Amino acid sequence: MYRRLLTGLQSATLRLDVGIQRVLPQDFNPLYYTGGLANLFLTVLVVSGILIFLYYEPSLEGAYASVEFLTRDVPYGVVFRGIHRYAADAYMVAILLHLFRNWFTDRYREARDSQWLSGMVLLVFSGLAGFTGYLLVWDERSQILTSLTVQALRSVPLVGNWLAEVFVGGPGVSDTTLPRFLFLHVGPAMALYVLLWWHYVRLRHPKIWPPAVWVLFGLGLLFILASVLPATSGRPAQPGASPEGFAVDWFYLWPYVLARWMAPGWALALVVALLAYGMVIPYTLRETPEERGLRALGQAVVVDENCTGCELCYYDCPYNAIYMVPSPAPGKSRAAANRKLLAVVVDSRCVECGICIGACPFEALELPRMLDRDVQQRIQRGAQAPAAAAT
Amino acid sequence: MATRTETTQASPVRVVGFLCDWAVRSEGLLNPDDTLVGMPHVTVIRVPCSGFVKPGWLELALRSGAAGTFVCGCPMGDCLNREGNWIMEDRIDQLRKRLARQKVDPDRIAFFAYGLHDQQAFLDAVQAFVDRLRALGGGKA
Repeated sequence: MYRRLLTGLQSATLRLDVGIQRVLPQDFNPLYYTGGLANLFLTVLVVSGILIFLYYEPSLEGAYASVEFLTRDVPYGVVFRGIHRYAADAYMVAILLHLFRNWFTDRYREARDSQWLSGMVLLVFSGLAGFTGYLLVWDERSQILTSLTVQALRSVPLVGNWLAEVFVGGPGVSDTTLPRFLFLHVGPAMALYVLLWWHYVRLRHPKIWPPAVWVLFGLGLLFILASVLPATSGRPAQPGASPEGFAVDWFYLWPYVLARWMAPGWALALVVALLAYGMVIPYTLRETPEERGLRALGQAVVVDENCTGCELCYYDCPYNAIYMVPSPAPGKSRAAANRKLLAVVVDSRCVECGICIGACPFEALELPRMLDRDVQQRIQRGAQAPAAAAT
Repeated sequence: MATRTETTQASPVRVVGFLCDWAVRSEGLLNPDDTLVGMPHVTVIRVPCSGFVKPGWLELALRSGAAGTFVCGCPMGDCLNREGNWIMEDRIDQLRKRLARQKVDPDRIAFFAYGLHDQQAFLDAVQAFVDRLRALGGGKA
């Protein structure tokens, strides 16, 4: 049932591409660049964040006023505040599209689990940085979010009170609170770049940037949104007041909407459960290749006698699964007799795609169950066979 | 379908194609002997990724008597293995230049990029390729 659902979603995802490609050229499909678009918006967030940081004052009395000063009195301050706000939403949209697309099209299995896991951790840190951004303004919404978060953290068994104190920097909201929030906003955002290294470490030539037309379109969209719908603060936070409602940013604050129907602790538990499930997705579907309708061709094997150490396979492998090591002994073929290097396939990274076989001009790589010899025979049969209908 | 069968019966050209497992869905597209439905002179070899195809195999197909040969991968940018179709497109570009130096018409080699649901577009592209080959004349043999 679950498997059928995923197959259906995969089919729907790819059908969506067919529709998009009626309108756009194939290599401009924005869904092929969701990772690059996320990077674009992250860069915008960092740049606009630095500008905002220059004006921000992390204190209970000064925070709201400094944000208002930025919005009203600094030239174009309202624009880059708005850009920071909308780039955050665009970033979340991009990484969610990235997540679901790679999930539905099976791009997370086996050797690719390291990208999936790093992606889930990136999602956690992005969510943390995004939600703490709403606390820094220190308006009524920030106050509600803080008190709901404290309630949720307190209900965690054993370490709850400690977590709540770490979060607000003391037993209650005090002068240490906003510096703490500022760190919780900027710290995870910086950690994103370390996590991106993990995200890319097994990829050769990762697509880290969208095509220029999408860069321009993305930036233009942010500028228009920031100018037409400027980001604003609510009323300033009042100590002791208990405001009722708040404007919801659905991309970051949806768990707080749940707090309407359930205790904040349960909303937190739900979020943690969702993320934990996300982490184990690559290990949930343990089907054999036959059940997945695949021809398991076996992992690439280096033919020691023929390898010349030319590194072509090493450059083409999309998953960095081929390493060049100093050759322990010369190869047997004439071309391989003077080699200095030898290619080695790292089994745990090989996805059996065979791209290295296409790269190798020396017949030094083979997929065990689709040998070069057999393919050549089939080519010759196909090229020479008299066409059945013509006879 | 009827028109296609008529054209194929008149056609002597033989074509060997490579089709990525992840590109066009091959169910209902292939006869039991791996030829295309309605185009029995087109043999299709399914490969795990378009990047698996050695340029040497394409040359071998032409040398062995095929009038033309093609590789079909996923839509550009959507390769399951990230780069297979870009790499293959590059290799085919280089092979075209090499063939031109050998006085073989580079148009005998084609690269297509069609996704799971593009069966009809794929068949049309192959048909157009076959028509072009017929205009060029039969294989080198």
